[in-house]
Amino acid sequence: MKYLPYLLRHLRHNWVRTSSTVLGMAFCIFLFCTLSTLIAAVDWSLKSAKASILVTRHAVSLVFTLPIAYRERIAAVPGARAVSPSNWFGGVYKDMKNFFPSFAVDAETYLRMHPEFILKDPVKEAFLRETRGCVIGKDVADRFGWKTGDLFQMESFIPPYRKTNREPFEFMVCGVYDTDEIRYPGSFAGLMLFHFKYLYEGTSQRCGIATYHVEIEDPEKAGVVSKTIDDLFENSDTPTKTETESAFRAGFISLGGNLALLLWFISLAVIFSILLVTANTMIMAIRERKVEIGVLKTLGFTNLKVLSLVLAEAAFLGVLGGALGIFLSSGMIRALPKIPFLSDAVRGFPFLHLSWEGAGQGFGLAVLIGIAAGLVPALISFRARITALLRQV
Amino acid sequence: MPVVDVQNVIKKYYRDSQEILVLNGIDFQVEEGDFVALIGPSGSGKTTLLNLIAGIDQPTAGSVRVAGTELARLNESQLARWRSENVGFIFQFYNLIPVLTALENVELPLLLTPLSRKERRERALTALNVVSLSDRASHYPRQLSGGQEQRVAIARAIVTDPPVLVADEPTGDLDAKSAEEILALIETLNQEFKKTIVMVTHDPRAAQRAKHRKHLDKGVLTA
Ligand SMILES: Nc1ncnc2c1ncn2[C@@H]1O[C@H](COP(=O)(O)OP(=O)(O)O)[C@@H](O)[C@H]1O
Ligand SMILES: [Mg+2]
Repeated sequence: MKYLPYLLRHLRHNWVRTSSTVLGMAFCIFLFCTLSTLIAAVDWSLKSAKASILVTRHAVSLVFTLPIAYRERIAAVPGARAVSPSNWFGGVYKDMKNFFPSFAVDAETYLRMHPEFILKDPVKEAFLRETRGCVIGKDVADRFGWKTGDLFQMESFIPPYRKTNREPFEFMVCGVYDTDEIRYPGSFAGLMLFHFKYLYEGTSQRCGIATYHVEIEDPEKAGVVSKTIDDLFENSDTPTKTETESAFRAGFISLGGNLALLLWFISLAVIFSILLVTANTMIMAIRERKVEIGVLKTLGFTNLKVLSLVLAEAAFLGVLGGALGIFLSSGMIRALPKIPFLSDAVRGFPFLHLSWEGAGQGFGLAVLIGIAAGLVPALISFRARITALLRQV
Repeated sequence: MPVVDVQNVIKKYYRDSQEILVLNGIDFQVEEGDFVALIGPSGSGKTTLLNLIAGIDQPTAGSVRVAGTELARLNESQLARWRSENVGFIFQFYNLIPVLTALENVELPLLLTPLSRKERRERALTALNVVSLSDRASHYPRQLSGGQEQRVAIARAIVTDPPVLVADEPTGDLDAKSAEEILALIETLNQEFKKTIVMVTHDPRAAQRAKHRKHLDKGVLTA
């Protein structure tokens, strides 16, 4: 600890070199933390998707909807156990920054198909009874302080889901659903479910069905059933595309496994180049300080102590870069939902924020890069003989 | 018993598989409180001998005993510790650490001791006082003249109060006036602070200030 001022003095003395190294390191950690947060969000989304559920949507794009009549026809496909419509409503409460995912569903079939939304009987009964009724996750309830019986209004940013009379939809909170992280890992306590019928009537029966959730008898047969469904509508005006829920989500998020892999590959390359840059900084630093290291040793600093000083200096670069990178990353992640284009991609994610764990990993990585970068110069300093260090000219 | 006792020392360097015999059977004793000047032409092995005495290099053969310790018996960390407690080194080019102030440079050897921060500051200031530079404590080396830098370096050498001081051409890079000040200071350290001093020089006037002189030529001591 008493050597800290000595280290800081060196870093400050070469502030141009120090700050460029720290900035490089910060960028690296920024990238790492941001990507790992996004990828964790994708993972979460995929983890909570079930293989026993297929999602049928328009073959071209989610923008187009499917006819109501498809429900019966899909239900008749061998291997399909139940069919339930579900539309991502895209509702906005007052302001875009309040955004949380909301779905218009056929409550009875949807809840049966998705036991991860746990409703107490009275809540369920009230929900099924109330036309404007909705159930919300605990996160949503906490965020807006909503209680059972509260009324609130939302309007979709998707034009076909707006009321024909141009008023917003009014909803009534019928209760809060529970989640069970042990039985259903990845359940999301941050969304809202309401009746598709309400949406349908509100839009004067003009909106179609965005997706049909199809529960199948045997997850092994997901491929066969999907194909049977799609074949059914292949030559119609509205062909379909059916895939498992997790594949659907991966596509929806547009961050498929390959993209994630590519991103990781890029981070790895960045990490490696920052390692080299930092190592270069440290090698330059000790080369300039050859005599100084000789003096330290002459004064009685052991080889080990000199090694630790060099390592500590390198690690300190990591600490500075790591802290800055984490700061930038948490800001970026918070800003993501406000950025045009990108915001659409991340909107479906649960409250996106840099977790302590993610920040800790980023910080650890930075310190590790620093130490790794300092290893070679530290060993050179450790091994150099005093007489060789002090020899001038 | 002499404070510095060098017996039968041989030092060889190997460069490109070629053997260079730098010290060829040196016997050299310095009594406690003595001030010895090592004189000799460039390349005669003066620095090499001084480095052996200061414990920053090892002989190829022979024994070096300083302040009662046979240096060959110590491992690297013991030797480092021994150096910090027993010798102060004064270099020709001062070798102050440029990013540290005069006071911090002087304080540096004390970081290895268990002294508190306050005690370290006090001792460093006292040492700066001895070399009459306490008013320059917060100056950086580049803000000091050569003579002042060397005085800070001397303060650094004495701050741990070692019994032995070694100086390698301490006036070699100074003008006559500064050289004179430095020599006077070294003389004081010998006479008033009772330091045993070995000083390498090829300046005859500097050598005159020592109590004894030894000539080194081609790796051999000649009286
Ligand atoms: N580390 C070394 N490797 C090879 N040769 C060296 C080394 N150190 C000193 N020498 C050689 O040893 C001889 C004596 O050097 P030195 O003790 O520095 O002389 P002086 O100080 O009297 O000028 C010189 O020829 C020098 O080149
Ligand atoms: Mg020399």
